[in-house]
Amino acid sequence: MKINITYLKKFVAFELEDAALKELLAGIGLEVAESQVIEGQTVFEIEITPNRPDWLSHYGVAREIAAKTGQACFLPLALDGVSLDGGEENFAITIEDATDCWRYSGCIVRDVAVGESDPTVQKLLISFGLRPINNIVDVSNLVMMTCGQPLHIFDLEQLQGEQIRIRRAKKNEKIRLLDEREVALNDDFLLIADASRPLALAGIMGGLESGISPKTRHIFIESACFDPLVIRRASRLLGFKTDASYRFERGMDIEATIPALKMALLLLGQTQPPAYFQDVYPRPLPRTEVPLDKDYPGRLTGINIKPDSSSAILQRLGFQLQDQGSRWQVQVPSHRVDVSCKEDLVEEIIRIHGYDHLQAQMPLSANPFLRIDREREIVQRLKNQLAASGFNEVINYVFQSPEENALYDPQLPPLALNNPLGKDFSVMKNSLLAGMLKNTAFNANQYWERIALFEIGNVFGQHEGKILEEKKLAISAYGLKQKKDWRCREEAFDFSYFKSLLTMLGRLMRLDFAFKKQAHPAYIDTCCFAIEIAGRPCARLGEVAPEFCRYYKLERPVFAAEIDLQALVAAVGEKRFSAMNRFPAVRRDFTFLMSKTVSYEELRSCLERLQPKVLESFELTDVFQGPTVPADKVSFSMGFTYRAQDRTLTGDEVNVIHLKFTEKMVEQMHLIQR
Amino acid sequence: MIDELKKEIEGVRQSFLNEITQIQSPEKLAALKERFLSRKKGIVGQQLLKLRDCAAGEKPVAGQLINQLKMFIETELAAIEERIGARRGKQEQWSDCSLPASDLPIGRFHLIAEIQRQIEDLFLSLGYEIAYGPEVEREEYNFTALNIPEFHPARDEQDTFFLDGFDNMVLRTHTSPMQVRYMLAHRPPLKIISPGKAFRKDDPDATHSPCFHQVEGLLVDRGINFSHLKGTLEVFCRSFFGPDVTLRFRPGYFPFTEPSAEVDISCFMCSGRQPDCKVCKGSGWLEILGSGMVHPQVLLNCGIDPETYSGFAFGMGIERVAMIKFGVPDLRLLYENDLRLLGQFG
Repeated sequence: MKINITYLKKFVAFELEDAALKELLAGIGLEVAESQVIEGQTVFEIEITPNRPDWLSHYGVAREIAAKTGQACFLPLALDGVSLDGGEENFAITIEDATDCWRYSGCIVRDVAVGESDPTVQKLLISFGLRPINNIVDVSNLVMMTCGQPLHIFDLEQLQGEQIRIRRAKKNEKIRLLDEREVALNDDFLLIADASRPLALAGIMGGLESGISPKTRHIFIESACFDPLVIRRASRLLGFKTDASYRFERGMDIEATIPALKMALLLLGQTQPPAYFQDVYPRPLPRTEVPLDKDYPGRLTGINIKPDSSSAILQRLGFQLQDQGSRWQVQVPSHRVDVSCKEDLVEEIIRIHGYDHLQAQMPLSANPFLRIDREREIVQRLKNQLAASGFNEVINYVFQSPEENALYDPQLPPLALNNPLGKDFSVMKNSLLAGMLKNTAFNANQYWERIALFEIGNVFGQHEGKILEEKKLAISAYGLKQKKDWRCREEAFDFSYFKSLLTMLGRLMRLDFAFKKQAHPAYIDTCCFAIEIAGRPCARLGEVAPEFCRYYKLERPVFAAEIDLQALVAAVGEKRFSAMNRFPAVRRDFTFLMSKTVSYEELRSCLERLQPKVLESFELTDVFQGPTVPADKVSFSMGFTYRAQDRTLTGDEVNVIHLKFTEKMVEQMHLIQR
Repeated sequence: MIDELKKEIEGVRQSFLNEITQIQSPEKLAALKERFLSRKKGIVGQQLLKLRDCAAGEKPVAGQLINQLKMFIETELAAIEERIGARRGKQEQWSDCSLPASDLPIGRFHLIAEIQRQIEDLFLSLGYEIAYGPEVEREEYNFTALNIPEFHPARDEQDTFFLDGFDNMVLRTHTSPMQVRYMLAHRPPLKIISPGKAFRKDDPDATHSPCFHQVEGLLVDRGINFSHLKGTLEVFCRSFFGPDVTLRFRPGYFPFTEPSAEVDISCFMCSGRQPDCKVCKGSGWLEILGSGMVHPQVLLNCGIDPETYSGFAFGMGIERVAMIKFGVPDLRLLYENDLRLLGQFG
């Protein structure tokens, strides 16, 4: 909203430098976004919040300044001297539905001369950001910018049947608007029509045919108030706004139609009453009344505001107060469509009194729902460990392209946006991996050799008409685990490192991760595993499929994992003390050859099956292939730790157990002892 | 016989101690070792030979005495050997402690996540609970329950993403719907903050992003007033931006608060003293928060009696806080995930 400061001073007296005026306006809620000089006059671009349509005019802004400074606010036009009544022409205004159009005031003026406006009027309109058109249309714009009420002026000779009807459009009706676009109508649109045709889209824009032209001789002036919802819905269907629709959809002053009409007549230089005038106001709106306890402004703001100050402020803003002892009955002026409850009144009082009077106090409220947030603690712990392991956190958008979703899993039905910013952001991501691959590629292009990332975020999908939203922790590794320098040799990320990392995160949570072979389109077949905790899957990891990597031009393998945080958090157990075993452990080693066709996993499950009671743990200490090992075999060295719960095991005792155990191993797994 | 042996052993011990104090070189140490411990000719060995002459009953005691002597000498020799040996080893093995350290990998937290955590921690210390909510939200919670009915002009200011096939769902345009969810599930007094992602259909530019982060705060109890809001935000802003920061409340508009306030902090960089300040552009103030008293209609929508309870709510953009606090010039940089930027923070 452009406010010309020179013009503003016609309505309220103030002597303020621009900076001080800006400060004053900001203090009462009018933020000056920009200040410029147009046609030699200072113009403020003011941001008007949607609750204050009464600020969408110079008079409206002047009214606020007057309330703040205590000055009078006035219209320098003798509106009282304008008489509307007396015309006797035969004409009719009909509102078909009073819920659509709340008030319609109109008049006919004969014998006008269409031409250019006075240069001062033209300059003024330019300073408001409006284009001068002709003296008639310019008057309607000047009235709107002065007092807020949008007017529309028709060429009377284009109206058929001596009547105006305010009605809903019929199916298949069309109208060509002033800006020459043609609009197909339906009954969502409210029309100003004559006996047979649509003349204008009510509250939005006039029609081309009935507009003012150089040939226009007689005019019909409309000053109306429409249901904001109707205008807003129509404007949204059309996909555009006008100065008029912007105001009507926010709510206009129902009592402003007549003064605006009078102002237009004055500005048109009319001294005689119009040839026809009618004010159709089927259901007069009572003014809103709100009771306000006199101590409530103080209670809600926490500062000491005397009742006298409160009442004085409200009265300066045009509210009428009836004193009822401990409270007032407050009548809201018709231009304040935003005020409906006592909190609204308190805002008016503190706004004019000054927000800078607010004291800083601390509330004493305790929080009975306080608790340790288990999930937050677990996530924080995982994040700390990942950072300590050299992984960097990234954050990406939640939407991506359909191709990226399909690269992860073409089977999952995507959750698509109805109105995306573009195709690249048109579906909600089904996995965090695509974003991390993109980040990996971005950083690989900056010549980073070690790109280790993690992200915490939600992934989405749909299933049987329900939206799925799950919180994930994704981890990815690309390039070098260890850069070469004088003391370290170069080491690339590999799957075994990645598996160790995941196992470490599991151990951190005291969870036993089981890795189960799986197939998934995002990972290569030979290297894709589900992580299960007590039989429940909670994550997937592996080497990312080459076509997925190639999409981001990544040449080297990417290892990635995605953890379902909800499942992980649910699996983390409560902690409880258990006594440490104080008896000494006995360690025995065993080295053997195993066929390459057997996996370690098979060996491991066999060991678990055969496990003697006193075997505490076992570990793989060495894997060896060399000239001394047959080509179809691998040499494994394993360490076994024996410990009893209740006594010290003797060496001889362990020897017997170990021998029996390894013999069974050899037999069942067809091993060759070395 | 035993007594005699004891004396002799004591004699050997003394002569060993005398000699060992004079040992300086490894060569002399080796000679000493040879003289005392050589298996055949060594002094200790000679003593062992004497066991043959002992009576059968005395043998175990005698053996034990000689063994003790042997162990004593071995221990002493080892200690000396380590002392001169270690010194010698250090001189011989090359090392240079001024060689550069290896770069052990470091991981960083994302700046946005780190600021979110700091804000969470500050409010946790003030007794607030953290309530996270879904990013795909019911339109009702995002708008209607927050006093933003359909066709309300305020919906224009929060251009909304809608979902295909789910008419009543939106990507939440703010974290405020968590207020509604929490109030529907809890009775006052209640104190929460709700951090997380929010979405608006804005093309990315230096100050806009279709996906961004917010922290919402809510406190509802008996007797809560506007000054409590100011006190709380002052404590937060001072702990976060510095103890000298002051707050400016300006009237604002949010459909779900009444009265509402925009909150500025004084510029922590120049305190308004530098017209060319890069942080505040010379205005002296930085717009940082939106806030207000919870609208009575919102309390009613959540089944809380506005005649008994009142509350305040506030919200801030995490990206904006990050950009202001650390001088990040363009919001898009925060979503590039450039390791060179991430490495500067977190």
